[in-house]
Amino acid sequence: MRGLRISAGALGVALMAAGVWALLFGADAQDPWVVAKWLLGVLVVHDGLVVPLTLAVGFAVSRVPVRGVVRGTLLVAAALTAVAGPVLLRPGPVQNPTVLPLDYDRNWVLLVVLTAGVGVLAGLAVKWRRGDRSSGPGDE
Amino acid sequence: MKLPLPRFPLAPPSFRGRLHDARTATAIGRWLGVAVAVCFVTGLISHYLQQPGMLADVLPSRPRWGYRVTQGLHVASGITAIPLLLAKLWTVYPRLFVWPPVRSVRHALERVSVAVLVASALFELMSGLLNTAQWYPYAFSFVPVHFAVGWLLIGSVVLHVAVKAPEIRAHWRRRSAGTLALPAEDAVDRRSLLTAVGVAAGAVTVTTVGQSFTPLGGLDLLAPRQPDHGPQGLPINRTAALARVDATTVRDWRLRVDGPRPYELTLAGLRALPQREVTLPIACVEGWSKSAHWTGVRVRDLLDRAGAPPGALIRVTSLEARGGYRVMVMPHTYARDPLTLLALRLNGEVLSLDHGYPARIIAPNRPGVLQTKWVARMEVL
Repeated sequence: MRGLRISAGALGVALMAAGVWALLFGADAQDPWVVAKWLLGVLVVHDGLVVPLTLAVGFAVSRVPVRGVVRGTLLVAAALTAVAGPVLLRPGPVQNPTVLPLDYDRNWVLLVVLTAGVGVLAGLAVKWRRGDRSSGPGDE
Repeated sequence: MKLPLPRFPLAPPSFRGRLHDARTATAIGRWLGVAVAVCFVTGLISHYLQQPGMLADVLPSRPRWGYRVTQGLHVASGITAIPLLLAKLWTVYPRLFVWPPVRSVRHALERVSVAVLVASALFELMSGLLNTAQWYPYAFSFVPVHFAVGWLLIGSVVLHVAVKAPEIRAHWRRRSAGTLALPAEDAVDRRSLLTAVGVAAGAVTVTTVGQSFTPLGGLDLLAPRQPDHGPQGLPINRTAALARVDATTVRDWRLRVDGPRPYELTLAGLRALPQREVTLPIACVEGWSKSAHWTGVRVRDLLDRAGAPPGALIRVTSLEARGGYRVMVMPHTYARDPLTLLALRLNGEVLSLDHGYPARIIAPNRPGVLQTKWVARMEVL
């Protein structure tokens, strides 16, 4: 097991080195400092902004009823929003009408509303099931 | 080796929230690992199909739908990985504030490798997603950087799995030793989190995958392309206007074929040659794809007429004035495939100017950018 781990670790380092090599000396190599700035930039924005915001929202809903469903609904809506980000926000004209041909604002609103609706139904179902259970086996 | 512990005026933040544990990280991490592995392998396939280098003679032209599937998977697995990555990073976030920040040289190296892992994963998924929407907010060229950082990412994933192997194993199953040592009351919340992450990954996938997996085209709500949107039932990337090709450019068009017995053909001459009909997809690097019916002359027949040797590389040049794909080199595996056409018609109609009128290449198992439009010349190299 130890040997396997060491070889896998060495393979990982070698693959990373291949990446650095490609960045510096590969075909059509780009300015490594600009790339490094972007790598650092996404790390800082994610760790300094995205996660703290997520944690704050998670804290805000930590005491609500059926919190699992509430958190799940928020999570699904956030994931759809993240993936929709580029098609919603892309600036500038598109190359031709077959690029971004859909009404993305409408589709995104539709999906978020749909997610919220499914969330409400799931929340009601969970509450109803719990209520059912807490009213006890004596009912049967 | 121990480093001295510095005194720091501010206490690191503490996390009382639950589920920042190794079982949650393992459960999400292995889904993420699968998505990243699929994304990396399919990305490599796409890279070498486009820039074969020494592999030119061995690239297979079959299966005809090969690139459609691999590139569709590349983009879909990248999109699926977005909620998985964000959830995984949320789970392990408290470790960013581990105290002391550095315990030993080994610990420092591990933390640097994790920083590379996180940065390269976020960067790859972000730049890939932006590329599908043709959005380039950075001052570098996308392809070489996305390729290089892909190696950085897969390397740091392999290293991370090697470093964390004992913890992963201890939390692999619900009844593994490490999992059982965690507070039992978290299990309900963990199950609901994992369910939500799975639903999120599914939701972003089914609302975008229709751009290549056409049976789900009706659910394609967020993808940058819709396979049915486009002239003659097919999307386009590079228009004739962008390529500076217009009615004047193509008026006296002739195809020139250079080889041991060079010749020229007018459009009428090409139409008089035996016509073949094939069904082949256009599959774009950006992830969308669509199958279509093409009619035209076999490239193999045109090359035989010029006396080309069977193993020759073929250079195809477009009428377009400039652009990275004006000149395309076709290995013999494609040029000799009976499905590879110099197409004159698309879905029963004469090619529109935006689809490459008067003649374009269509070959099986090849990226869309190499399906050269407005072909002016073919040369035996």
